[in-house]
This record gives sequence, structure tokens and C-alpha cells, in this order.
Amino acid sequence: MRISITVNGAQCALDVDPGDVLLDVLRGADYLEVKGTCHAGDCGACTVLVDGHPVASCLTLAARVDGHSVTTVRGIGDGTHPHPLQKAFVENGAAQCGYCIPGAIVSAKALLDENPEPTEDEVRLAMDANYCRCTGYEQQIEAVLDAAEQLRKEGHR
Amino acid sequence: MGRIVEYYRAGSIEDAVRTAQRLGPSAAYVGGGVELVLRRNPEISTLIDLSQCGLGEILEVQGGILIGSQVTLAAMSKSALLKHYAGGSLALWSGRIAQNNLRNMITVGGSIGRNQPWNDLVPHLIALGAEVRYFDGAEHQTPLVSYIGAKCARAVIESVVLPSVNRNARGFMWRFTRTQQDISVLHCSALIDTAGNRVAKANIVFAGRPGHAVLYPQLGQELVDRCSSHDAFEGLAKTAQQLVDVGADHRATAEYRRELVRAAIVSLGEWMTGDEQ
Repeated sequence: MRISITVNGAQCALDVDPGDVLLDVLRGADYLEVKGTCHAGDCGACTVLVDGHPVASCLTLAARVDGHSVTTVRGIGDGTHPHPLQKAFVENGAAQCGYCIPGAIVSAKALLDENPEPTEDEVRLAMDANYCRCTGYEQQIEAVLDAAEQLRKEGHR
Repeated sequence: MGRIVEYYRAGSIEDAVRTAQRLGPSAAYVGGGVELVLRRNPEISTLIDLSQCGLGEILEVQGGILIGSQVTLAAMSKSALLKHYAGGSLALWSGRIAQNNLRNMITVGGSIGRNQPWNDLVPHLIALGAEVRYFDGAEHQTPLVSYIGAKCARAVIESVVLPSVNRNARGFMWRFTRTQQDISVLHCSALIDTAGNRVAKANIVFAGRPGHAVLYPQLGQELVDRCSSHDAFEGLAKTAQQLVDVGADHRATAEYRRELVRAAIVSLGEWMTGDEQ
């Protein structure tokens, strides 16, 4: 079947099997920044935004997002034009091996879009899906709080 | 899943039921899709998507609040209506069940339709006295606890209806998990309605026993007309340990779960008497 989705602002028409999950479809279309690890919705590495809401792409049927908008970490910012969240992750030492970071960044982005002034508890809850085996989480929480402050100073998201 | 050959977008619930009845066990409705993808059933070859059937709203209706079956846990956690219902327990706990990216996927209808023994939403809905509206060619509305017992496999769950409750009624949920992300080893939900300092009505539900959610009317009855005192809950904990049917699995022994039953009732008592830690 053919689905039409917007990925990072670009319209894509993709041929998928009805049982395909979004993770495999995105990686098959060279969105390799979306990482697969557990394939069971446990680890959060594959998190992407669908219409601005974080979902586990390993459990999301690609057919179900037909007509919807998908954002990966590359749609938030890249090496040339990093988003304040991405800068804050680097500055706070919140990325080590980096494998989980694409999922963590998109979860944090969804939170800050909805709640520009989150408390630490709200950050922890919003990122409770994102496992990280390197940083011990504290730096990631600090990075999100720093980015929130930076975004408020800049007066944008 | 086995080999899925068709993804059918139903235009209405009538269309969905007709299609499901025609295809029989080879068809499955898609709620959030989480369980469908995780627990691949080789019999299923057609998925019926209900997202275009208008089942995605939370509304105030005569006699209570209606939650469409395609509403996600995340949407419930943000609902102003639910934040003001029974002390906001359903909104609070919908934002704590599972994890953030799954809360945006898991739907009310999917949770009820699959009703896994470890489900944390269904027992709380039972405690709140929820009813299910479903369509199997005709419209029905029945208590959730009866719906689950009846196993209406080909029916489309349209919505859950929460009954109006008194201003003093408050929902309670307690669960024990080995880690933050793990499923419940034991779950206890309750709705306690008070008049003055006495309990007027109490619904108490246990789940993750490791079996499905069960409402224990005897436990609720034991609290009725009593003051919210430590003595009342001490007695209730003893009764609950004898009454609640617990078993063993690889997560916990029955003996361990019986201790958790006590811990749940102690927590309920602390919550009721304001001594919550």
C-alpha cells in the first residue's frame, strides 16, 4: 500500500506493507537518525514525533500515520544549525555514545513545545521513555532545563 | 502479527463491524496498535483502523463523562474534564501509566479490548464505575466489569462512560512494580465517596494478582458507614489479605502478593486519613 507522510517538512510517498512499523519504513527511506534497539517499545531510542507527539516508532504501524506529520531529530536541527536543545546536550555532557540521543532530543522537544517552563519533575516524566546507559540521566535533565531557559531568553521555541 | 495483507480504514463503526464480521478471526481492530505489534498473532491478516470513526473525544454528557475509545492515555492526562473528576485520579494516573511515548499511543479502547492482566487503566476505570458503550450491529451500554467478562470479540468499543460522582468522591490508585518501567506485580484502585467524615460508598479493585482486575464489593462494604480511621483500615487490610485472590508467577509468589495487598490497603488508609508519605 502507498502512504503519504510529511517527514521533517518534506512530503514523502512511500510503499509499505500493511504490517510495517514506522521505524523500519523511516530507516528504509534513509532517515537513519531514527535508531532501533529493543523493538518492543521499552527503550525510547526510536522515538519520533507524530503531529508533535512522541511515539515509539518501533510499535507504530506505518499505515496509521498516513497523512500525518513525522519529525525526527534531524528535523529539529543538525550540525550546521543545531537547536538549543542539541547545543545544551553537548554543553552539559548529556551525550556519550549518542545512540539514545535522537529519541531523547525529540521527547524533550515535544515537552518544551507544550510546556516552555517545565519543572525538573515534569522533565523526568516527559523523558521516562528514554533509556540511556551512558550518562546516568542527570546531565540530560540539566540539558533540557538549560535549553528551556535559553529558549525563553531567546523568546522562541 | 502474522503476514498482514490488508489495512482497512473503516469509515464508520457500522462499516468496521461489518468488515470484522465478514473476515472473522483473521481481522483485528487497531486501537493504538501497541499490543497488536508486540504480540504478533499469526491468525491476523487484516487490520481495521478505527481512527476515522469519530471516537477520539472526551465530552461531558448527561450523567457523566464520555471518553471515546480512540482517546490516548496522554490525552486523558491533559483533559480538563478529567482533572476535575473524582479528585483527578484518572487524569493523574493516565499520565503515569507506561511511558511517555507509549502514553501517546495506548488508547482506552485498546486497553479494554486487550485487557491484559497487568493493565493499570482497566482496574481504575472499574473502580470509578465506568460503563462501556459498544456496537456489534446494535448499540449496547454495560458496566465495564460485565463487558470484560462477556468477551465481545467482534464488537467495536465506542466509548467509556464515567458516571457522575459526588463532589467528595475521590479516586485512588496504588501499584507495586519492580522497576519504574515494569508491569504491576499488584495493582489496587478505589473510589471512595464520603459524607462528613464517614465513608458513604467504596469500590475497591485489585489487579495484577497476577490475574485480571476484580472488584471486591465485600471490601467496599466493610468501609461503608465507618470513619476514615487507622482502625478501620487495619481491619480492612486483614480482610483483604484473606479475600483477594492472589497467585504466583515469575514476578512474585502468592505470599509476597498477600503482603502487597496489605501494603495497598495501608496506603489507601494513609491517603484517606491524610497521613500519606
